[in-house]
Amino acid sequence: MHGPLISPWRWIALALLLPAAVGAQVAFEDVYPPRDTRPETLWVRSPGLMRRLSVGFAAVMADVYWIRAVQYYGDTKLSMTTNRNYNLLYPLLDTTTTLDPRFNIAYRFGAILLSEGYPNGPGEIDGAIALLQKGIRAMPEKWQYYHDAGFVEYWWRDHKAASEWFLKASKVPGAPPFLPTIAARALADGGDRATARALWQGLATAEHEWLRQSARRALMRLDAEDEIEALQRIVDAFHGDTGRYPAGWIELAQLGRVRRIPLDPSGVPYALDPVSGAVSVTPDSALYPLRPVRKP
Amino acid sequence: MDAISIEGLTKHYRVGFWRPRPYVALDGLTLGVQPGEIFGFLGPNGAGKTTTLKLLMQLIYPTAGRAEILGAHVGDASVKRRIGYLPENPYFYDNLTAEELLEYFARLFGYSAAEGRRRASSLLDEVGIGPERRFALRRFSKGMVQRVGIAQALINDPEIVFLDEPMSGLDPLGRREVRELILRLRDKGRTVFFSSHVLSDAEALCSRVAIVVNGRLVATGSLDELTAFEAKGWELVVNGLPGAVLDGLRSSVSGATRLGDGRYALTLPPSAAPEPVIAALSAAGARVVSLTPLRATLEDVFVEQVRAASADRSKATLAS
Amino acid sequence: MRAIAVIAGGVFRDSIRDRIAYGLVFFAVLLIASSFLLARLTAGQDVKIIKDLGLAASSGIGVLIAVFFGIGLVTKEVERRSIYSLLSKPVSRTEFVVGKYLGLVLTLLINLSVMVAAFYAVLAVLNYLAIPDLRASWDAPALDPRMLVAFALIGVELMLVTATALFFSTFSSPFLSVALTFAIYIIGHFGEDLKHLDNIVESQTLAQVARGVYYVMPNLAALDVKSEVVHGVAVSAQHVLAASAAAGLYIALILVAATVIFSHRDLK
Repeated sequence: MHGPLISPWRWIALALLLPAAVGAQVAFEDVYPPRDTRPETLWVRSPGLMRRLSVGFAAVMADVYWIRAVQYYGDTKLSMTTNRNYNLLYPLLDTTTTLDPRFNIAYRFGAILLSEGYPNGPGEIDGAIALLQKGIRAMPEKWQYYHDAGFVEYWWRDHKAASEWFLKASKVPGAPPFLPTIAARALADGGDRATARALWQGLATAEHEWLRQSARRALMRLDAEDEIEALQRIVDAFHGDTGRYPAGWIELAQLGRVRRIPLDPSGVPYALDPVSGAVSVTPDSALYPLRPVRKP
Repeated sequence: MDAISIEGLTKHYRVGFWRPRPYVALDGLTLGVQPGEIFGFLGPNGAGKTTTLKLLMQLIYPTAGRAEILGAHVGDASVKRRIGYLPENPYFYDNLTAEELLEYFARLFGYSAAEGRRRASSLLDEVGIGPERRFALRRFSKGMVQRVGIAQALINDPEIVFLDEPMSGLDPLGRREVRELILRLRDKGRTVFFSSHVLSDAEALCSRVAIVVNGRLVATGSLDELTAFEAKGWELVVNGLPGAVLDGLRSSVSGATRLGDGRYALTLPPSAAPEPVIAALSAAGARVVSLTPLRATLEDVFVEQVRAASADRSKATLAS
Repeated sequence: MRAIAVIAGGVFRDSIRDRIAYGLVFFAVLLIASSFLLARLTAGQDVKIIKDLGLAASSGIGVLIAVFFGIGLVTKEVERRSIYSLLSKPVSRTEFVVGKYLGLVLTLLINLSVMVAAFYAVLAVLNYLAIPDLRASWDAPALDPRMLVAFALIGVELMLVTATALFFSTFSSPFLSVALTFAIYIIGHFGEDLKHLDNIVESQTLAQVARGVYYVMPNLAALDVKSEVVHGVAVSAQHVLAASAAAGLYIALILVAATVIFSHRDLK
């Protein structure tokens, strides 16, 4: 006989209580689901303070903040509201790069995320440029940061400023030879699709996959602009012939003006407005909007 | 040369935080121990016995006075090679086995691994630790730890062994074994200095003792010397003593204990010679069973000294 | 000298049998292995986070072991009084302190080696699974041997922290010793801020005091090259030698102070 006599009822009780307790929790969550709306909060606002608090573990904290920044961006982008609020993106990226000033991808990709067009994206041009300037102070040998800053300016704001950035980039030792050319074209053309294509193609060979993806999408947008121009000519020709705009692509297809319903480079059909005859990319498309809407 | 020589050894502690007052743990102890002696260092609890031993082992430092072991100052490195020490309520390393502990200490003396194992093994035999020697010390009872403690004190075959309460935690068999071990040490010519408050052990073993009370040495000498002055009379056991005769003897008898029918143990004061009483009893028809002189025991001396010392102290505090 | 080796060996043997030490090292290895999963979250920065986490875990766990075991080295023996019988043998108090220190340092360095091995193992797996394109995007190769420099300096830092813990434990209670040792660790990392406190506070005297504290305290930030090796930035041999030499002087200073304090103490 080993050990004290424990009545079998106690074992039965144990066997029943565990699944019962677990089941109760599960049922509770079914009836009263936990509120999912825990917003991202930044408790420590000052990056400098965070760095001091990290006492030697700053690099890991930087990784944590980077993960948070990416998740925050993704969650906000995917959320269903029309009024997307990216307020914490810059502070998160600022803290990340204060904790680890050599965090290359945080500067480059962070700038791309920040500058993505409003209203889908943050549209924070100033923030993007500031982040890249911080990167330049930390690592002046990185011509890519000057280049990215010029890029952001060219695409969203000021071609003259962009040109100056490209020139500065070209002066950094080890910079690729095509930079002065781009500087000149930025100054001269402004808004020209061919220049833009050249810039994006430069980025399409960047060392990071995510940067390359951004470049590919941008190039698709430029292709879409080309295609819209061609399609617009067809629609305008129809209008010239009939005095009205076509009801839809089917009508044009039946007339043989187009072969089939035209799809944009992301695979979504173009929209054709029967009243104004404008051809455009639909809001459903991943490429929408083709050109930035200025953030109010 | 004295094996141990202590001169005016004093230890004051500062007690209290804001206005520390000195607490006198040991006050001007002076004594000497001869080589080959078994010396008993006796006193009530808190008398300063353990303090003295810790001073000798340099675990604490004296406020005044000096001590020498084998002619060298106690702080000397060479001294430690030739002595052994058993602390009071010893604690060793829980996760080591008895064998490992002894071998660890043996290494500190510089013995080779093989020599260390040999010594450990034979000492564990001598103190009566059998197959348990392979168990971790945390599983040992108090008595077994005590035995291991004695073994570790002897690992270097020391000339002098210092034992603080060596019998503590041992059952009667254990006490006898340790007593025999101490006697064997003396036979080998070693010196044993042990402190205790168990007087029967001291009586059985020691050639000389010292008694400390409240940090002061109050008596020192051989057992005979200490108990010599305290002749306490006689004990007379008689058979067949009628009660009436006893009443008649009341004046010359200081005490009587009835042991049975007609059988009495009579206590005679030291002032009276026993012969007249015996004659009177024989005449009354009683038979003498035994006549034993009563000597003072060490306990008597001890208690006497402690009481005297307390009386002195209370007189001193009253006077101040 | 022999006594020092015996005592050091004793400490090392105890640590092998100590379940808590195993637990901590196991935890560190687990952390390093799990960083592999975390890597998925970082948008292509997997090698960076594995390296960051591995270096941080080795350093952090190492510091925990150094502080808590370092403080127990002397305090446990004194509190439990096992030191009474030990000091009656031919070993001086100085040899005791130094022996305990060296034993724990040996333990720490071996623990650190285990963590380094786990670290490189995880990186080897990552390197094997990665496509060449991804590898090209890394700041430094996955199995970069230069990271050993960071680990070496972590080892030096751990030796310094152990000495500090041991020093405090020779005279203060365990709780206070833990607090003071962690305080020194944190101050040691704050270096730059202390040196330039006048940028933050108004009072000039406070800034002077802070600068004084900065120069007296060991500069632990100099021993921290984790960020450099992760990003493939070269760390000069001079830097390593100079920082190690300065740390070595501090260790010697702290140990000598500890032996002096311990030698004069009454062991109640």
